[in-house]
Amino acid sequence: MTESGKSGFQSMLSWLTGGRVAAKVVVLLSILLAVFIAIQSGAGRLVNVFVTGGMWALLAAGLALVFGITNIVNFAHGESFMVGAYVGYYVFNPIHDYLADHPSKVLGLGAPFLGILAAALAGIVLGAVSERLVLAPLRKRTKEGWIMNTFLLTAGISFILVNSATIIMTANFKGVAQYFEIDPIRILGVRFSVDRLASFLVAMVIILAVSWYLKWTRTGRAIRAVSQDETGAQMAGINLNYIYTLTYALSTAMAAAAGASLLFIFQAYPTVGHDPNFFAWYVVMLVGLGNVYGAILGGFIVALLQAATQEYIGIAWADVIPTAVMILILIVVPSGIFGSVVKGVHEQS
Amino acid sequence: MSKNENNPMQDRAAEFTQGLGRMGFSPLGAALFVLLLFTPVIPGLDNQYIIRWIVFGAFLAAQAVAFDFTAGFINVVPFGFAGIVGVGAYTSAIFSNQSLNLVFHPAISPWLAIWIGAFVAGLVGFGLGVLTLRLRGIFAAVMSWFVGIALMGLARNMTWLTRGPSGMAPNTFFASTSNVPYLYVILIMLLVIYVTLNLITRSHIGLAFRAMGQNYDAACASGINPTRYRVMNFTVSSLYAGWLGGFYAHYVGSLTPTSIMDTSKTIEVLAIAYIGGRGSLWGGIVVAFPMVFLMEVIRSHWTELPGIQFIIYGVLLILTMIYYPLGIAGIFHWLRKRLVPAAAK
Repeated sequence: MTESGKSGFQSMLSWLTGGRVAAKVVVLLSILLAVFIAIQSGAGRLVNVFVTGGMWALLAAGLALVFGITNIVNFAHGESFMVGAYVGYYVFNPIHDYLADHPSKVLGLGAPFLGILAAALAGIVLGAVSERLVLAPLRKRTKEGWIMNTFLLTAGISFILVNSATIIMTANFKGVAQYFEIDPIRILGVRFSVDRLASFLVAMVIILAVSWYLKWTRTGRAIRAVSQDETGAQMAGINLNYIYTLTYALSTAMAAAAGASLLFIFQAYPTVGHDPNFFAWYVVMLVGLGNVYGAILGGFIVALLQAATQEYIGIAWADVIPTAVMILILIVVPSGIFGSVVKGVHEQS
Repeated sequence: MSKNENNPMQDRAAEFTQGLGRMGFSPLGAALFVLLLFTPVIPGLDNQYIIRWIVFGAFLAAQAVAFDFTAGFINVVPFGFAGIVGVGAYTSAIFSNQSLNLVFHPAISPWLAIWIGAFVAGLVGFGLGVLTLRLRGIFAAVMSWFVGIALMGLARNMTWLTRGPSGMAPNTFFASTSNVPYLYVILIMLLVIYVTLNLITRSHIGLAFRAMGQNYDAACASGINPTRYRVMNFTVSSLYAGWLGGFYAHYVGSLTPTSIMDTSKTIEVLAIAYIGGRGSLWGGIVVAFPMVFLMEVIRSHWTELPGIQFIIYGVLLILTMIYYPLGIAGIFHWLRKRLVPAAAK
């Protein structure tokens, strides 16, 4: 049969069965699900999917990044989100109060971004401190069972941070009703809330900035070198400890920025990080541990699945049904639909 | 040998110690356990407050033993442990439920229902073992976590069966409010769990578990059937977890999804088991009692700092994992080697 003689269906079939079948099936099903949601519940629902999807992508990309480079399994990712939310609140709210007396258009537009920036900086500090205090000493002592040990250590960090937040911040919700006091924009008859649009843009900008940083800067190249070959990178004169701390701090900063930019949905609360942590984990397990670009796509797939569950089955089932789906997927493809890109995950565990 | 023949008393004492050792007790451990049995009659310790923390200590200790049976031996951390405990608790509560507000009210005695809870939890553990067969290390741990969260979601959503987040009020074992009968129930449960798991880990099955935990591929290559042993381990550990969950339900008398199935409960048990020393089984027991007491003191002392005890848990867990991964059990072994050079062999 000649190439041109192939029918469209056949070529589609051969595309489907070649390479990573599971990834293609999942992506195709998600696209179908998206179309279904758009037809059934209107495109407005889909916009929300993109907003949460962008955030899951940002969180999961940070998780995947830190795992891919340092092999740290970060269970405290949600707590960075929580810290970011608090910092965002405490930066944005005073400015907001100040604006009530001194109206200023520029500051009004800039305040949320100031909050997000402050959260990211706080995330860097938090990440650097916890890496230096907890993970670096362990790395110095033993590398045996490293992956599992980091999982448990970060579980300890998460425990400490949540309970510290309960003590310092008390168990009150701290949130903002709206970041930008602007009416929703209408595009093609679909209403876009400016807050949601902005948080989606923030997520995308941060992801792009991080990938630019990894690809084009000298430090970024060093980070990638460490992820490929630790010993080789060390021989080339790269300071491994510095790279580890930097990567961990980068990932916590991403989570903290996500926490600040979603403050209008997730109010700051000691255990607010629980769900984001779970879903970020969900995404990285779905796409394969350490796969950063897969994680970005996976964020949207998971958000879609969540939205569909909430829409058609009930809001209470939002964590049961996706988990069940996830378990089924993991049975079929244990290393995730796009495959784990980290070598030696099995050996080192 | 000749010395012992001359002294039958000493011979018998040696035999007794040996027998204890086979059950997993050192003479000191056995003495402490007997002391626990007598707490209700020891003057000064015979108040309800003390008894209550011993009950909770024993509950946590028994959970730590069941947890360590999986985490310390086959080296798969069952991160959904609290979910399994919750399955036992809820099943037991549902089967002993008398309230007509719920669809299902068989009103079985709690003494029977607790076994049904254990059985169902064992089944869930069996399923989890089968589910995670292809997964290793961190993948299996995360899978177990997901399953635990899904179970908690089920308990929250099946309101017709569990009343959801508003919680159930299971019947208690005893009509009286005294903690003393519960103390004996939980101490017997702790004894049964510890002795059986200890016997299993000392048999050839335990050897297979350890081999799988240390080097999975080498163990498989030496002819250990990973499917059989992992599923067996998960089933036994979950069975006991569910059994303990049933005790919790019928002791505390109130049950909400977050009070028993939350991930933080798993971390609590994990911290106890790891501080005690992984792979020792008894380390968790030694740590649980003073820990629960200490936490209770801290909690009642610093009421303006809610949750400070959990911060201490976290710090201790981190310190143990970094600086002394062998835990309390490791310190005991070291001391024993120093003090009794003969026993080291």
